[in-house]
Amino acid sequence: MGSPPNHRFEAAIFDWDGTAVPDRSAPADEIRRVVEKLCGLGFEIGIVSGTNVDNVDGQLGARPHGPGRLHLCLNRGSEVFEVDRGGPRVVYRRVAEPGEEDGLTRAAELAVEQLARRGLRTEIVSRRLNRRKIDLIPEPEWADPPKARIDELLVAVQARLAACGIGGLAEVVMLAEAAAQEAGLPDARVTSDAKHVEIGLTDKADSAHWLFAHLWSRGIPPRAVLVGGDEFGPLGGAVGSDSLMLVPEAEDATVVSVGVEPLGVATGVIGLGGGPASFLRLLEDQLARREQGELPSLSHGPMWTLFIAGVDPLLERTHESLLAIADGRIGTTGTLLGSHPASAPSVLAAGVYDGEGPETTLLRHPVWTRLDLELSDGDAVERLLDLRTGLLHQRLELIDAGPVQAVLFSSLGRPGTAVLRATGHPEALSARRPLVLPEGVEGTERRLDSTVLVAEVAAAPDGGAVVAARDAHTSGRDGACLDRIAVYHTHPTERPDPDEAVAALAEAERDGFDRLLTESRAAWAERWEDADISIDGDPDLTLSLRFALFHMIASVASTGEAALGARGLTGPGYRGHVFWDTDVFVLPFLAATHPPAARALLEYRVRRLAAARMAAKARGRSGARFPWESAETGFDVTPTSAHDHSGALVPIRTGELEEHITADVAWAADCYAAWAGDEEFAAGPGRTLLVETARYWASRARRDSEGRAHIYGVIGPDEYHEPVDDNAYTNVMARWNLRRAAELAGGAPDVDEEERQGWRSLAEALVDGYHPATGLYEQFAGFFRLEPIVVSELASRRPIAAEVLFGPERVRAAQVLKQADVLMLHHLIPAEVEPGSLEPNLEFYEPRTAHGSSLSPGVHAALFAREGRLEKALEWLRVAARIDLDDITLTSAAGLHMATMGSLWQALAFGFAGLRPAGSTLSIDPRLPPSWGAYELRVRFRGSRVRVRVEEDSVLVRSDPPASVAVAGDTFVATPSGIAVDRRGAQGGDRR
Amino acid sequence: MSRVIAALDNGLGARVVLETALAVAPLFRASVDAVHCREDGDELARWTAVDAGLELHELDGLVEQRLVEEGERTSVAALVVGAHRVPIGARPVGTVAMALITTLAKPIVVAPPEAEISSTLTRVLVPLDGTAETSAALLRTLTLACAADIDVVCLHVLQEHTVPAFSDQPQHEVTVWIDEFLARYAPCPGIRLELRIGVPGAHVVHVAEEIQASLIALGWSQDMSPGRAAVVREALERSSVPVLLVPVARGEPR
Repeated sequence: MGSPPNHRFEAAIFDWDGTAVPDRSAPADEIRRVVEKLCGLGFEIGIVSGTNVDNVDGQLGARPHGPGRLHLCLNRGSEVFEVDRGGPRVVYRRVAEPGEEDGLTRAAELAVEQLARRGLRTEIVSRRLNRRKIDLIPEPEWADPPKARIDELLVAVQARLAACGIGGLAEVVMLAEAAAQEAGLPDARVTSDAKHVEIGLTDKADSAHWLFAHLWSRGIPPRAVLVGGDEFGPLGGAVGSDSLMLVPEAEDATVVSVGVEPLGVATGVIGLGGGPASFLRLLEDQLARREQGELPSLSHGPMWTLFIAGVDPLLERTHESLLAIADGRIGTTGTLLGSHPASAPSVLAAGVYDGEGPETTLLRHPVWTRLDLELSDGDAVERLLDLRTGLLHQRLELIDAGPVQAVLFSSLGRPGTAVLRATGHPEALSARRPLVLPEGVEGTERRLDSTVLVAEVAAAPDGGAVVAARDAHTSGRDGACLDRIAVYHTHPTERPDPDEAVAALAEAERDGFDRLLTESRAAWAERWEDADISIDGDPDLTLSLRFALFHMIASVASTGEAALGARGLTGPGYRGHVFWDTDVFVLPFLAATHPPAARALLEYRVRRLAAARMAAKARGRSGARFPWESAETGFDVTPTSAHDHSGALVPIRTGELEEHITADVAWAADCYAAWAGDEEFAAGPGRTLLVETARYWASRARRDSEGRAHIYGVIGPDEYHEPVDDNAYTNVMARWNLRRAAELAGGAPDVDEEERQGWRSLAEALVDGYHPATGLYEQFAGFFRLEPIVVSELASRRPIAAEVLFGPERVRAAQVLKQADVLMLHHLIPAEVEPGSLEPNLEFYEPRTAHGSSLSPGVHAALFAREGRLEKALEWLRVAARIDLDDITLTSAAGLHMATMGSLWQALAFGFAGLRPAGSTLSIDPRLPPSWGAYELRVRFRGSRVRVRVEEDSVLVRSDPPASVAVAGDTFVATPSGIAVDRRGAQGGDRR
Repeated sequence: MSRVIAALDNGLGARVVLETALAVAPLFRASVDAVHCREDGDELARWTAVDAGLELHELDGLVEQRLVEEGERTSVAALVVGAHRVPIGARPVGTVAMALITTLAKPIVVAPPEAEISSTLTRVLVPLDGTAETSAALLRTLTLACAADIDVVCLHVLQEHTVPAFSDQPQHEVTVWIDEFLARYAPCPGIRLELRIGVPGAHVVHVAEEIQASLIALGWSQDMSPGRAAVVREALERSSVPVLLVPVARGEPR
């Protein structure tokens, strides 16, 4: 007999008859009580049985209230019921295809006939959903044998078979399989519980597949699952019925058998014995572990986790940024639990700024992650961020205070609520205060009672935050246990109400750690269901991509408005100012995976239209002009001077001249509408954004004597040259903006036909620098006359900040680019540039690009992928993937590069997979690098969950509900079961 | 109490050496001992010490050897020596100074004889090459300087191989880059960083003059062989203010 498992699980999957109850007439009061309590603490339970819902639910009678869910996977894998306070309701049922039912009956009859020919009398005893059951020992003595007598039953059946010259159950199973084959059921599932042999369309493996997939979708990895049964070992040569639950997904689960197991259990299964009483003790133990504050262990494995061992004083702040956790509103760096000279804890709230003008910066908030510990050199520290659940695990081995373990999360399910649970020696956890005001930040603290601390910080000129927090100390099996909950209420322009924060804290405390954990874990898992990317054959890149997606998901709220600064909520760098990074680089990912968050980003712009209109008016223009750098007010907050890398004070003119952001905002609105299919937005605030930005361009462009229109004096995405005239990116984006607005504004009451016609006319007149003879767009007027420096030939390495290497004046006079400029047009609006112009422009501009912007590598990866130059695409993709993880900029300590992360996703989705919305059809035009076996990504397209898997020969597209997709130009309807299309575009038929 | 040894010769730099020792002593929380190794007379050295109210400790024997022995005493926190006996003396430093800086594993201040020394240090320039070794060597100096309310300005010179890969928006990028550089290599409050591009040696003296530094502090590996210690050579040859040389811990070459 083995030893019972000695740690906390998050879910259990177990057999019913013989595991949870001795037989179907036994009382189930105890198991019901434990099941309901466990579900109440977030524990997920899946009961697997061959019988029907009336039998199991009638016996169990559990009515859990959640948040953990109870599923009954019944009828041998053919049905799944979810049980809540209202009773069971079916959530999945395998419906037999025409002919399958008859096939089952025929198979059973054939089997009975063949056994009869061998002299064995058997009976078909039930014709249940998707299966037929044959009684191998239809004798009164063995009419309903209890599980405890299974060894006796086995002996009796074997003797009966032997008397007819049948070698054993395995032979009967083979005979039944052959009968099923003959009856036209090549995939029939045949099992035996010794008394019966069953022929069916499904079996317990289907239940296990469903349950593990469900648990994964709830943020529970297999290693946090307990699997229980009583028949894992072989039975008379046939496999034990519970061994069917050991599907590949169960490889990391803990498996226990409480059965008699006459022939022993398979390797990896813990044989506990003891029957249902033994299994009940296991569940009781899980209950006790929760009640005693045991920490959850929810690591999803190396392709989902970022692990940092030790404290490196040089890299600590970078590591804290990498390990940041956030809920869309509040972001906290993955700081150490104890104080350390190299640590720089940071808690920031989206959109809550302090100061005015260029000095406007994100307000620093009270820190909730500190214990009263001072880390010394000999202390061992490990931190692990699980990207799938947003949980930050910390393990400290302190010389003075012994081991301390903790798990921290910022609840994605309840934004503004931060939770810490720590276990260890009582002295190590005796924090005096749950909140610490950051150094240099003025704030107030007061105790409401002996335990609740309320801290307030005020922003200038208005706005601020109230934080209510409390530490709850208990003693648990691992020493002391500290549960800390901190609730942040913030407001960009008003003083938040402390009472609301205190009330929210009280509610969170009532719900408790486990419910909050379940809520957040499930919210994260839900987001991954629509966003995950995986690459077969490149685990490092898969992890890098997930790391990027994690931080983008964490940094943007799903409701209201979302002000996403250049470094998100992962650090204070760039003062939290909002650039085109948000609209052009991050928004597409959210539009394609979680439209509410993209909508919140746009709401930030919509609510600042008044400021944008004022900015246009102040320049004598019409419409709306969005600022290069934006914060709370929506007015431009770009600094006007700064010291460069040479120490020189230089003027900063981006606020004045980098005007393409106005068209970028319009593009973002259109991108969101295209992915989300949000007609209300498109006809409302979306159209307003398009119209007002078009009006700006209409007033900004100037016609020359020949009628051509120009935009003079701007800075393009390549910021090495300023000011320039007729920047191709600015002009073509403005042209697109004018045309799109004219298209969308038809029938709008505030736009007459004359104005629309004026936009169309101006769009036609805008010069775009295209040279038909070469196929090149000239980046701006006069660019081709500049010194023809090819930076790829001159610099010893790229990416490189060329203005630092060559000096700003030299770069300004040369054909050296910081990042994609003309090529951004091919990336964002390929329909707006000349067909076939990507190749010559990529060939010309990329070698001249220093990639000195962190936005550049990802975009070039996408473009090289579109062009089919996959090695180059991979080269730049890998650079983009490592910018923060390797701290290539040496500035990740100030926060992570959100736009780089967005570009990384775009490289995969737009570049490699070739995803583009085309009206109500999702266009897919994939490329697969030879070094990848396959890759898969998930998006949401107009309400449908779409999964695209690109393999060497085919593309598999699944969509739920069905959606129109076009692969390499051919349009199909993708269904939940999937459409496989070969890479040349021919439909290969349904894929299950 | 710790001591700073002012190694007075009988040359024109003796006064500067003693004034330098008196100025840097608070940096080491130390008192000053005036020491002279008899070689060719002691009148100027004695007069200099007495004029400053100090007793002159005289040593006999080989100058370099005796000063190294004296400097190795555990009570000695630092040693101040003249660069050369006369303003147009050997470059970058004379034989005594050269022997001391390459042999003695202690902070050594080399004072140019023509320097004008103020009674207190007001500003120290600390060039940092962005390595953990140099930073570790200078950390104690930085910490003590900050504690003594001395204005500390660090200097980092970007070279071809250290030019950043990216510079997204200079109005923000340079600030966050500097903040992190200081957090890594000069983790004391109140320190600022000057950035330059080019050859480090060429910038050190220039920036010291520009910011009116009263001392340059350099970490180094005590290796004056050809091709090594370019910044130290340049500083010793051209600086008009004393240069504090702090050896990088042995086994951790720069």
